[in-house]
Amino acid sequence: MNPIQISMEHVTYSYEKSCPILKDITFKANKHECIGLIGANGVGKSTLLKLMVGLNTGYEGQICIEGIPVVKENFPKTREKIGYVFQDADSQLFMSRVYDDLAFAPRNYKLPEPEVEKRVRKALEMVHIEHLKDKQIYKMSGGEKKLASIATILTMMPDVILLDEPSIALDPKNRRTLIHVLNQLNPLKIIASHDLDMILDTCSRVILLSDGKIIRDGDGKEILSDRELLEAHGLELPLCMQGIPD
Amino acid sequence: MSKLDNALCEIYHMDEIAEREQWLNHIHSLIKLVITVCFITVTVSFSKYDLAGVLRMGVYPIVVFIFGELSFRSALKRLKVILPVVCLIGVFNPFFDRQPIMEIGGIMVTAGVVSMLTLMVKGIYSVFASYLLIATTSIEKICYALRLLHVPAVIVTQILLAYRYISLLLEEASRMMQAYSLRAPNQKGVHFKVWGSLVGQLLLKSIDRANEVYESMLLRGYQGEFPYAAKGFFRVRDCVYLGVWFVIFFCLRVMI
Repeated sequence: MNPIQISMEHVTYSYEKSCPILKDITFKANKHECIGLIGANGVGKSTLLKLMVGLNTGYEGQICIEGIPVVKENFPKTREKIGYVFQDADSQLFMSRVYDDLAFAPRNYKLPEPEVEKRVRKALEMVHIEHLKDKQIYKMSGGEKKLASIATILTMMPDVILLDEPSIALDPKNRRTLIHVLNQLNPLKIIASHDLDMILDTCSRVILLSDGKIIRDGDGKEILSDRELLEAHGLELPLCMQGIPD
Repeated sequence: MSKLDNALCEIYHMDEIAEREQWLNHIHSLIKLVITVCFITVTVSFSKYDLAGVLRMGVYPIVVFIFGELSFRSALKRLKVILPVVCLIGVFNPFFDRQPIMEIGGIMVTAGVVSMLTLMVKGIYSVFASYLLIATTSIEKICYALRLLHVPAVIVTQILLAYRYISLLLEEASRMMQAYSLRAPNQKGVHFKVWGSLVGQLLLKSIDRANEVYESMLLRGYQGEFPYAAKGFFRVRDCVYLGVWFVIFFCLRVMI
């Protein structure tokens, strides 16, 4: 079986023709890896994730998920393999109850109701929110919503999980829970974030983006401990490496 | 709390009521929908002078309010905008139809007054019946029932998404109003000069938000038809509930 799950080759993308936001991006992501996508605001982290799921189209180059090119005709096939967690949990959760939201994907894939129920229960257990099963979404806190939004994609049993700023607006306790949950998840994970401490705790590999290009792709600890490199591209050392306890 | 927040709370509260663990809420949504349609049809089928007949139909909302453990006062509060509008139907009848038909305590009652009252009662009952349906059935279940009745998926999905869009719109509007009022503390309401940009921004923001929700649906396998939990066959209590109301409606319409 092919260990490469995502491959991007010479991908260039622009919202406006004159100024490409991503330039000649090439990388491969293997099974069970956890990759941190870091970079200052506006370097194209979210855009890169959206390209992988086909929310942004019209790119140059080639993007493949398990060998299948990410083009319109293949969206149903590729999207079934990918779970994408939006930055804003309110965009991810649109049903009235947690259970219905989690059941949305498996029901769309026409799974029988007992299987849907099994998957929902398992997803809730994985993110430790079994007690929220019947809760109304508007009554949930930001942390609960974030965990629930991760659970919504786990019911799809995806091979790849993409997370856009997962730790944003989380308190320390919820952030720790999130890191714990992410470390337990087995599929390939790509996490776009500014929270370098979280990236350090979850990702073994880091891709540093700047000015729409990949500046460095390599070992997480090595890149995240390189003060000069990070500061040159609008970032800072993770707090734990600055001598400030996390 | 602002009016917008109140409206938002009302929507959420209705969702909550519809999801209660109450026997009436567990009756199959198709049965409740059919009974509601049947009740409205029977109610409006009475002649415009048959006020007594129409009044008798009140047994349905009364029974459902009691057995559904729903607050009549809250219902009146929620329907305070629509009920006066409904009562305006037929308000001109007394002017056009002046034929006297009876005398009560020396006061002549014309056919126009009776038909006006009949129309009002019909309207009020129909509104209450619709309210009782949405108070005991979530929007997803109502849409599921509509699909079982072979209403086209496009229409049903439109209803469902429009319902969801209302809360998105209200949330955005509420956020913008808060931001506005915090920077214009001495001003009552919104100054007319900023109405245009405020409404424009509201539209753009809510479209953005709705688009993100739609993208989230697409990424989870949505292909134009909303997935509903298959509810299986009707249970005995569903059939009994339907049968009892059919008999009652038949008796009220034909036999009494």
